[in-house]
Amino acid sequence: MPWRNAMRWLTTLFSISGMLLLSIIFIFPFLWMLLTAFKSYYETVVFPPIWIPSSWHPENFVKAWSSGPFLHYFKNSLLVAIGILFLQIPTIVLAAYAFARYQFFGRSLLFALTMVTLMVPGQLIFLPDFLILSQLGLINTLWSLILPFASSAFGIFLVRQSFKQVPEELLEAARLDEAKEWQIILNIMVPMARPALITFALFSFITHWNDYFWPLVMTTDDVARTLPLGIAKLRQVEGGSAWQIVMAGNVILVAPILLIFFIAQRYIVRAFVYTGSK
Amino acid sequence: MTTQTPLSIKKVKSMKNVMPRQQAPFSWHAYLMILPSLSVFLIFYIIPIFYLIFLSFHDWDLVNPVKQWIGLGNYFELLQDADFLQVLQNTFVYTLLTVSLLIILSLLTSLWLNQNDIFTRFVQGAIFSPYIISLVSVALLWLWMMDPQYGLLNAILTWFGLPPYPWLDSPDTALYALVLVSVWQGLGYNTLVFIAGLNSIPTDLYEAAALDDTPSWKTFFRITLPMLSPTLFFLVIIDLIASFKVFETIAIMTGGGPLNSTNMLVYYIYQYGFRFYKIGYASAAAVILLIILSILTWLYFALLEKRVHYR
Amino acid sequence: MKKRTQSFKEISAVMVVFVFLTLMNACGPKETTSTSNGASTNANNNASSNTNASPSTTAPKEKIVINYWYSWGDKIGETKESLVKMFNESQDAIEVKAAYQGTYDDQHAKVQAAFVAGNAPEVWENEIASVGVFAQAGLTQDLTPFVERDQFDIKDFIPGLMGNSYVDGKLYALPYFRSTPLLYYNKTLFKEKGLNPEGPKTWDEFAEFTRQLTEPGKRVGMTLAPSVWYYEALVKESGGEVMTPDGKIGFNSEAGIEPVRFWKMLKEEGVMKVPTTDDAGNVARTDFENGRSAMYFSSTADLTKLLELAKGAGFELGATFMPKNKTYGVPTGGANIVMTAGLTPEKQEAAWTFIKWITSKDQTIYQSTHTGYLPSRISAVESPEMQAVYKEQPLFKVAVDQLEYAGPRPMMKQYPEIAKILQDEIGRALIDSKTTPEAAIQAAAQKAEKILSK
Repeated sequence: MPWRNAMRWLTTLFSISGMLLLSIIFIFPFLWMLLTAFKSYYETVVFPPIWIPSSWHPENFVKAWSSGPFLHYFKNSLLVAIGILFLQIPTIVLAAYAFARYQFFGRSLLFALTMVTLMVPGQLIFLPDFLILSQLGLINTLWSLILPFASSAFGIFLVRQSFKQVPEELLEAARLDEAKEWQIILNIMVPMARPALITFALFSFITHWNDYFWPLVMTTDDVARTLPLGIAKLRQVEGGSAWQIVMAGNVILVAPILLIFFIAQRYIVRAFVYTGSK
Repeated sequence: MTTQTPLSIKKVKSMKNVMPRQQAPFSWHAYLMILPSLSVFLIFYIIPIFYLIFLSFHDWDLVNPVKQWIGLGNYFELLQDADFLQVLQNTFVYTLLTVSLLIILSLLTSLWLNQNDIFTRFVQGAIFSPYIISLVSVALLWLWMMDPQYGLLNAILTWFGLPPYPWLDSPDTALYALVLVSVWQGLGYNTLVFIAGLNSIPTDLYEAAALDDTPSWKTFFRITLPMLSPTLFFLVIIDLIASFKVFETIAIMTGGGPLNSTNMLVYYIYQYGFRFYKIGYASAAAVILLIILSILTWLYFALLEKRVHYR
Repeated sequence: MKKRTQSFKEISAVMVVFVFLTLMNACGPKETTSTSNGASTNANNNASSNTNASPSTTAPKEKIVINYWYSWGDKIGETKESLVKMFNESQDAIEVKAAYQGTYDDQHAKVQAAFVAGNAPEVWENEIASVGVFAQAGLTQDLTPFVERDQFDIKDFIPGLMGNSYVDGKLYALPYFRSTPLLYYNKTLFKEKGLNPEGPKTWDEFAEFTRQLTEPGKRVGMTLAPSVWYYEALVKESGGEVMTPDGKIGFNSEAGIEPVRFWKMLKEEGVMKVPTTDDAGNVARTDFENGRSAMYFSSTADLTKLLELAKGAGFELGATFMPKNKTYGVPTGGANIVMTAGLTPEKQEAAWTFIKWITSKDQTIYQSTHTGYLPSRISAVESPEMQAVYKEQPLFKVAVDQLEYAGPRPMMKQYPEIAKILQDEIGRALIDSKTTPEAAIQAAAQKAEKILSK
């Protein structure tokens, strides 16, 4: 059946070129950002746009990095993003478990309350939160960047969906074996929700790593500031920004996430492929 | 589903979600487990909401120590303001378009990319990349690409013999241009979540279908989709709420223009609160936003959750 | 089971990283705040600071600490930080901590929030159009008594810059980083076309120039970003004011309509391109930089960058007054420096000392030469340092000379909202062929009237 082979070959060809096209569409801006970071100022504004810089300017990165206490910002960003995750995982797992598997008085109301927090954008509640955190003396500390996010309705919702998928029989069997609740959570529920938890962890880390608005409002000087603020400072208004330096800063911002992705990719993929019905 | 015999499709469909529930209604266990999350929410979200509601009944410019009580004055004014109604419409249209496109496209993409070879892994990474970069980094590029005279997108269109599109330059098209950017941003993440969902479907279901010689579209609608329904349920409402809350994209790319055509709720609120010194008015708009979203979410849960197939 | 160890591994891994980072944080420089000075609160071990500060090394006197919030980074931010550093090194009674806070809008929002919370900074920058709002709300301090007591020379400040410093007759702010819009042009192109290399002086000349410079498909005379700031200029040039000094609408007049008419005419002739997107400014600039337009409105603060660009692009940069209609006229821009109200007498003195220092002649010369913003004092303009700069690059003097025709920006609370309405309606008149300038201004006036009447 030569034509069938040909068909298969053709489909693969389409498939691969389709994937290539898709990749290009999505990676294109990212590549542009990367290349721009190496250009000279003139090359960033010229038209028609120059793709590959005629000469490479890696000193842009040095300029960006030394424009402020970047190592300090970097450390803060890491502390905040990890600190948030550290608090979020347990709070989310517990709450999701309760919402998914327990019947209790006021469950719908409390879940509704949880969902309401999803609807409030930061640009609206920053003022009352600023006042509250100010009363607690936490403005301009890392806590003001961590505590408001110590739990996440998004996470609870996502993990609840996974938890609801666990067959009751599994849990009953475990209980028959006299397993305690925390053992059930740790040994049955969490592994079942692993793809969801990983997805959420990625989402949370990236979101808070890239967050500009909240640290801008909650910090008044460099002591608790994070990377995005350091990069914003590279911009200027009445005189036009030095885009090549700004892009270098953005590359610095993105690099750690890429690194994590790279290192953890196999682990992430494995977690996703895990089908856990047994 | 813990048995080894492959099930036929009919049996899967008829399996109802009848699981005996846990304990009695006043469960201390449950309350204790929810407590940490709930405290965070209460302090940092619920109390601020009440503060906003409180502010919405006042006329305050944020600097003056005196707040003026005006009851429902702000609400009346809002509902009569043509700009606000325009903003509401913009938000609805934008949300509708973005969510539908996102869900459909990412579902299709996830089916296509649900393999584990090196190519697919690369593509998965590629479509996820917009998510990693904050929009600020690439907003400039998008603005340039969408330039009606010199941008890449129109260059591509004209190369195919199509007329150039005004993109962000015209009040009639700017909204759709933003939808494009948002879909581009969110596709990767949505696809990933779908793939996660696809991978949690037990393979024996597919085996059973194959045994019965089921055509692939039937497999899709009878097995895949129902099994994906929890994920689908989750993503639709999450995308919906996120679209309603859009702010950065507008702030960076259009500033609400041209001519208010891309002005959306949260941006409008922020403008009025912190640029125009009308925080009471802005809070009233915020309350309306919350009410709309709450109603939508409640409807969503009430009507659709029962159709979700949990195991 | 494998799963149990797996979960434990995940959790413990995260814990280890977290603990490690916390330790790193504890040992690191936790208390250093500003990037400039190293005087931190957790260190009395002032080993030889590499500055020629005061000689007291044993028991450092209790310094008064004041916070200074500023906007904008890059060169402007650097200059501000340098100035603060110089101040701190020049005396040891006061320590100023400078902190970047984003854009002017961001900074204002934060000051408001901080004020409500009770911990506003002592000194900060007030964008000139907002000076009135904060002063009238009691957020900023009336500086008149301080000026009188110290006989501080405010007559030396360029008069055109003082408009946005007085509110209800009292002095609330001092000129700090100020600018005016200029007409920049491509001198090389002008010479090629045989046009006056000094640039167009009147609206008619301007229109004529755009026609001569336009080559269909290749270049337009000018790409205009129709911002309210430039509109304010054109209204002044037509003999009117966008808002009258007593807070009423001034643009609902012939002087307010003429600019719109002018712009619309040029756009429809095809000699001026008017993008209406939010980044119209960027488009206008890119067009100018790439020779796709020959003229460009921008702030004087842009001069240094534009000079660099023109050199890279291979053309000679020109700059001149915004052309006159009935007269020359421009609004000013930038920010003034203010002191928060309600400070303790001690802090007030410290803040006032700082403000006096940073607005004095030497500092304004430093600021102007490093950024391209205007020098705020007459004595600075006449100083040998600035004169040398002007000799070397005459373009720096254009904005200073134009100050003769400069006026303040409207300062009332409702102005940001009115400005947005204006921008929308003017945009509509420019995009929509069916909307006449008269109708657009009329519509804007109606909406503005409603806002003002509340």
